Formats: sequence, C-alpha cells, structure tokens
Amino acid sequence: MSELRPIRQAIDWGHLAPLRLRAKQVAEGVYAGMHRSARRGAGVEFGGYREYVVGDDLRWLDRRSLLRHGRLVIRQFETETDRTLSVLVDATASMAFRGPSAPGAKLAFASLIAAALSRVALVGGDPVSLTFLGGERSAPVARSSGREQFDRVVAALEATQPGGDAHLDRAMVDRALQALARTSKRGAIVVVLSDLLDLPDDVADRISAIAPAGRVLVVVQVLDPAEVDFPFSGTVRLRALEGGTVVETDADATRASYLEALAKLTAAWQDAVVRRGGRFVRAKTTDDPVEVVRAIVQSIR
Amino acid sequence: MTFYSALALAVGLLVVAPYLAHRLRRRSAEERPFPPARLVPPAPPKARRRALLEDKALYVTRAAVVVALALLGATPFVRCSRLSLQRAGGASVAMAIVLDDSMSMRADAGGRSRFVRAREGARELLSSAREGDEVAVVLAGAPARVALAATTNLAAARDTVDALVPSDRATDLDGALVLARGLVASLPQLDRRVVVLSDLADGQPDAPPLGEASGVPVWIALPELRARGTDCALMRADQRGARVRIAIACGPGATLGGREVFVEDAAGKTLGHAAPANGPTSEVVVTLSSDDATSATRARLSGADAIAVDDSAPVVSEAGRGAIAVVADSADEAVATGGAPIVEQAFSALKLDLEVHPMPALPDRLEDLAGDVGIVLDDPPGLTPEQRHALGAFVEGGGLALVALGPHAAAAPLGATLEPILAQSVAWREAARVGADPSTAVGVLLGSASGLADLGASWRAVLAPEDAAAFDPIVKWTDGAPLVARRTMGRGETWLVTLPLSADASDLPLRPAFLSLLDGWVKTAREHAAPRRSNVGTVWKFPGARSAQARGPAGPVAETREDGIVRVVAPLVGTYDILVDGKREMRVAAPDVREIDLRPRALAESALGERLGERRAAVDISAEVALALLALMCAEMILRALSKRRAGTAEG
Repeated sequence: MSELRPIRQAIDWGHLAPLRLRAKQVAEGVYAGMHRSARRGAGVEFGGYREYVVGDDLRWLDRRSLLRHGRLVIRQFETETDRTLSVLVDATASMAFRGPSAPGAKLAFASLIAAALSRVALVGGDPVSLTFLGGERSAPVARSSGREQFDRVVAALEATQPGGDAHLDRAMVDRALQALARTSKRGAIVVVLSDLLDLPDDVADRISAIAPAGRVLVVVQVLDPAEVDFPFSGTVRLRALEGGTVVETDADATRASYLEALAKLTAAWQDAVVRRGGRFVRAKTTDDPVEVVRAIVQSIR
Repeated sequence: MTFYSALALAVGLLVVAPYLAHRLRRRSAEERPFPPARLVPPAPPKARRRALLEDKALYVTRAAVVVALALLGATPFVRCSRLSLQRAGGASVAMAIVLDDSMSMRADAGGRSRFVRAREGARELLSSAREGDEVAVVLAGAPARVALAATTNLAAARDTVDALVPSDRATDLDGALVLARGLVASLPQLDRRVVVLSDLADGQPDAPPLGEASGVPVWIALPELRARGTDCALMRADQRGARVRIAIACGPGATLGGREVFVEDAAGKTLGHAAPANGPTSEVVVTLSSDDATSATRARLSGADAIAVDDSAPVVSEAGRGAIAVVADSADEAVATGGAPIVEQAFSALKLDLEVHPMPALPDRLEDLAGDVGIVLDDPPGLTPEQRHALGAFVEGGGLALVALGPHAAAAPLGATLEPILAQSVAWREAARVGADPSTAVGVLLGSASGLADLGASWRAVLAPEDAAAFDPIVKWTDGAPLVARRTMGRGETWLVTLPLSADASDLPLRPAFLSLLDGWVKTAREHAAPRRSNVGTVWKFPGARSAQARGPAGPVAETREDGIVRVVAPLVGTYDILVDGKREMRVAAPDVREIDLRPRALAESALGERLGERRAAVDISAEVALALLALMCAEMILRALSKRRAGTAEG
C-alpha cells in the first residue's frame, strides 16, 4: 500500500543547483537583450500562411486560396506586442526520479528550464506566469513582469516538492489545466514541462486544445536517461512512483518492448500536439539546458 | 504430552528448515523506483524460473534427508502397530488363526472393512512366524471350516490368507474354536494358541465369554474390531402377481424410522415403495402396476446402517411351502370314515405345514405336479404311458413317490404297467400265515416297527423277484418279502408299500407305525426338494445329480462332492442360477437373522492377555532408513552439482 501514497521529498537538484544562477547562465546562453515578440495571428504586417487547424478563427481563412487551390489556409500577421509566457511544470511524484547517470531529478531539470525561459521572457519584457501540476507546497505565480517576477518564479520552483499522483488524482490534473487555461490568454506562449508518463490518456488532447486558440503551445517531455535507455539487466522489480504499478521482469528480455512502448507514448503525445499546431520538444536531463531552452525558443519563433 | 512426543514434534519442525533456507535464498529481487514501470511488460524471468524448479527438487531432497535423519534417530522408539507373536522361551509356536469371514465383518472399521483389517492382522501374525512354527487357518463363517490344516509351510499359509475373501455367512465362532483347538491340540509344540480375528458378533451376546476354560489359550488379537453399530436387513422379497411382500428385520437398537423400502427393476428404476413400521421386524407389501409386475428384480432398503450388503434382496416369485399330491379313491372302502381317504386324514393328523391336495388320478403332465414335493399313489390301477412319463420325470427331478400296492395294482389292464417304479407286474396274494417282521426295520421305522408285529393283513402284494431286489427294504414280512421299501431314482426316491392304504385290506393305516412311515417319507421329500430360499451358507445338495453348475452374485460357485452327492454352498447373499444336469433352477440365499445382531460376544479376561501376543512390536528399520538416507544425500549432491554447472554456464 505504501506504493500508492504520493511521495513527498525535496527536489534532488544535483548538479543543477543553485537554480537562480544556473537559470541566469542558461538564459544568457540562449538569448540576451530585447527581442521582438513574434505573434502570428491578428495584426498589421502580413506574416505568411499556414494550414487551417480546428479552432482557428475563420475570419483569417484565405478565401482565395480556398477557391483557387481547394485548401483551407489561414493568413497570419506579425505584430509588435508583449507576449505572456505561461509555464506549467509537472511536479508530480514521478518527476522526483533521478537515475544513476542523471545530473539531477527531472523536476530539477524542468525547473531549470522553466526558470531560464522565464528569465529570457522577462528580460524581453514579456510577462510570465507559473503553474504546477501536483507538487507539495507548490504555489503558482501569477502573470507579471519585472525583475522581481524572476525571483518569484525561482522561489516558487525552489519551494516546490514533488508529490501527487496524476494517474489516480484526476481532480488534480483538472485543477492544473484550468489554471493554465486561465493564465494563458490569447497570444500567450504556453510551455508544458512534464515527463508525460503518468498523465491520463485524455490529457494530451486537452493540453493540445490550447494551441489553436491563438496561443503557442510547446510541450517539453523531460525524461531521465534511465527512462530513455532502460539500463537494467537481469531480474528487476520496478515500482512506478505513480499509479502503484509494481513489475517484476527480466530486463534483458523486455527492454525492446519497453522502449517500443515509450516510443509509442511519445509519438502519441507528439502527434496530438503537432496535429493541433503545437510544438513538441523531447529532452533528457543529461542534455545541455541551453540547447533545450534554445530549442524551445526556436520552436516558438 | 510425553517427552518423546515433544521431541518428535521438535524434529518434525526441522522439516521446514530447508524450506526456510530456500525462501531466504530465493528472496525477491530488490525493488527499484522507475516511473514508467507501467510501460514495462512483466515477464517471468527464465533464470529465476529455472532456479525455482531446481530449488524445489533440492528442497524436497533436503526435507527428505531431514525426515530420514529424524527417523534414523528415532528408530529405537519406533513401534509399529503390528501383530506379532510372543514366544515363551523362544520356542516354536503352534497357532490356529480363526478368521471371521461372516457378513458382519463387512462393516466399516476405519475406512476399510473389518474383514480386510482381520486379514491384514493374519498376515502380520504370519510375518512374525518363523521356521518351525505350525500354522492352521480356520474360517468362522457358518459353518466353520478349515481353510488350511496345520502346516509348517508358512508360504502356503500366507497364500491361503491372501486368497481369503469375505462372505455373507453367519458367524460360528464356537464351531471355529472347536475346529481350531482340534487342529493345534495334538501338535508337538508346547506353545499352542488360537488367535481369533473377529468382530465377535455371532448373534449370541449372552453366551459364555469367548476363550473361557479353554484347553488351548485363546487370544482375541484385534479387540478394536469388536462389532459396533446397528443393522437392518431385508430378509426376503417374494412376489405374487403384482404384490411384492418384503420382510425386514433389525438387530437390537436398530430402528426403521425414516427408512423406506423400494422395489426396483434391473436398471434401478423405482417401481414402487413403502414405509415399514418401526420395530424389530416388519413386513411391507408393495403393490406394483400391472406393467411393472414382471420387471421387479430387486428390493432395496433406503438409508444406511452398519452393513450395506443386506439392505437389498432379490425379488423372487413367492415360493410355496410345498404340497403333497394324494391319489386315493375311498369310494370302494367298506370302512366308512365319514371323510377324506384315510391317508389324507393321516397327513392331517401329522399337522404338517405342507398342503395336501387330493387328485382323482395321476396327471399326464409334469407341470401339473409343479410345487409338489411328493405324491402318494394308493393302489393305482396301472399307469398310462403319459402318466408313467410324468411320474418318472417327477421322481428323477427330485420328487418322492409313495406307492401303495393293492388289488387294483395287481389287476392292471394290459398296457397299463407301473413302470418306471416296477418293471414287472404285481401279484395280489393271500397273507394269512405271514406278518411283519419288526426286527428287519431300519430307518424311519426303526423305533415304531414293533407295532407292526401282529399286522392284520389277509392279502398282500407280492413283487417280482427282480423288482424286490431293486428296492431297499425298510421293513419286511416274516417271509423276507419287503413290506415297505425304498429305491433311489435319479434325484428322487420311490417308496413302496405292499399293502394298500385302506383299512379294508389291513390295519396298517390305523397303526402308529403308519404315521411314522408318512412322517419319515415327508421329511425325506423335504430334503430332496430344497426350498428356493435358504440362509446363506446352507449346503445345497443335489443327490443323484451328475453335476450342478451354480452361478451366484460374484460369478461361478464351485461344486463339491461328498459321498457322491453334489453340493453347492452359497457364500453370498443373492440369487443363484443353478444348472442341474441340464435343468435350470433358481435359488436364493438370504441373510441369516443372527448376523444382524451386532452385539459382540463377551470375552474372557485371559483372551486379551499380552502374554500370548505382543500387539505393538519394536521394529528395527534403521538399516533401511540409513540406506534411504545415503541415497538421498547422493541425490542432493548430484542436484547441487547440476545446479552449479548450470549456473556456471549461465554466467559464461
């Protein structure tokens, strides 16, 4: 029964501490100074075409293209505006996992990415909000800008302890998604940092539904190297941190099956997000955080 | 709890030691946190599965080793519940084993029948016998009989005991003890004894205690076999028309409350049922439908009691008590008796339980004599060919004929002879100067022939010399001619009286000796015509028959011969199909009412004496256990070597 109880523990920061300094370093490595917010959608300067996806505003449907080519194409415009960065950090129990070769827990890595992104956004003048999925002592940070906001974001991330079972606690997931929807207005950039392993099946569609409503959705899957490589050998008894699953298996015999299942899960998320116009980034905690943040920023552009 | 019991329990606990070691060695793999565990398919690890099987074999072997070690250590205390003989000074023993094979031994005694346990006891006793011991085996099922005369051939004794099978006979413990004592009394061994393996239920619970004042010591070896429980039995089920009359008897303490009697056909289908009255004996009548009347084969008593085999009985056509046919004509008698012919009145005076039915003439067909055990022909005026054939078949088949010769027999018309009884004609001559000679009387007239000394007969029948020679005289005339004679014909007999059964011809019918003659004749007729139903164990005799092939509930029954007479003994309750010289007949063996009384006979104190036999014997099995231990340890070493080799292969 102990397996079913949410795990309460501090974030294993490992080599990723201290968060504030590391986040600043990452942010400086990614982008320095002001940037032009790139928001495609309603605006003045034409920004190109893209394929219509469900939920797009029909006012921007290009009728000429429809009549000429029979394709549903949306006209996009660029505008100079502040863009809100809404970050959702998965702080459920599974994010506390740190494999033997990882520099820190998945939540530590996700927090670093979130803080660095916030730093980049705040330096650019964009407001930032932070919400959590699960977690103990996790206090969401309301949308704001300014130098203090970075401190608030870092403080909230440092205070959070992993906990909660998204697999069993649907209410917790609903609360997090509703909070995310409230904080991410039209034109906002929504970044979801999660391992995506224990989320209920319908969450992929619900998160993806954010993308077409004038927002930019980036889903970042954060995995530990052990989860990616399945480095076990011989007979192992594995216990999930959420859902209470305990599996005894021959690691050598089932490695291929596991990797296939993981790839299938990742592909399902990627498909759900991309199909609705979002971006999907996959990261390992051993990856260079600078590259990960850069990949996220580039995907936003 | 004794110290040894506690020690045994402690040693027994050691058996789980290998299991605990096995569990400790086989501890579960260390649990590791792994968030995507639900994506990992569970798979029974091959290596561990193999290890599990090997461990099991090793575990079983090690547990067996511990058990064997415990046994080896406990050998001095191991005592088997086996029967064995105690020898006075180590001398040879003469032993007669009385094994009860009666029906009550079929009752359950701890998951097996008492008979099986008794037979095992006999085997145990024989296994403790040694060279020089003399053993006899007597069976106590009635009538008691010797299965094996005293012999030193112990292998033959073992074979005899192995071949014994239970029967449904009554119990004859007293007879068996007499036989057993007789078998060992004259043997040279000084240590003689009679071992009784019986439930002691011989239907005589109030008889003197068994083994009391016996010249040869009697040992009741298995007192736990003493009969317990109660029993009810179906004694008979007779069918007449559509009615089946069923008699039930219960032993002391048994009741019929809640039990019912069912009549079934051969397939077990119930044709009718009735509830018997509660009491020691009961009789119920089950009325069948006219369609089912011909298919009833079995009556069954519902419920359960100590003995199951007597809870069913075959349904047979009701056997009459037998009858005597009398062919006599009193019309020309000068002496008016005012009623039936004098011979019928004589039968009436004997108060027989046989029916006497007069006939105007001897029937032409044998079927008309069915149910008759004898026929009386008073001065027949010769016989027609059909009558001769019917009479011959009747006598040959086991019937008795009493033929009184008189003037009519002597004046038989041409062609109406008295064959097959007499080959020659009969003469009717004056007998004024002769009388009966009581000194020649034998058999049935031995005690009453003195009353025939002054027999008043003016005329008598005279046989031809060839015919007179064919008969055995029972009593003679003073001139040596037979007055009453008998002759065996086939399975039956013909009795001849050379005077008619009429008071006009002589005063023979008026004398007491005449009643003695009729009584003896009826008794012989009864013996020849055995009843269709008799108690199990009764000897069925077939005098004059060349063979009798009997088939009972358990298959063919062997025939025996004694004094040239074929005999068949029915050992089991049920129906017997008997082929006697090509003629088929059916007989039924019913349970003996004594056998349902399960109260055991009292025992003399000395019959339980330990001096005669040691019930629990210390048995030295250390050699066998040590050998088994050695084999187990070898097996364990081999298993360990195999396990190591396999482990090495896996690592390589």
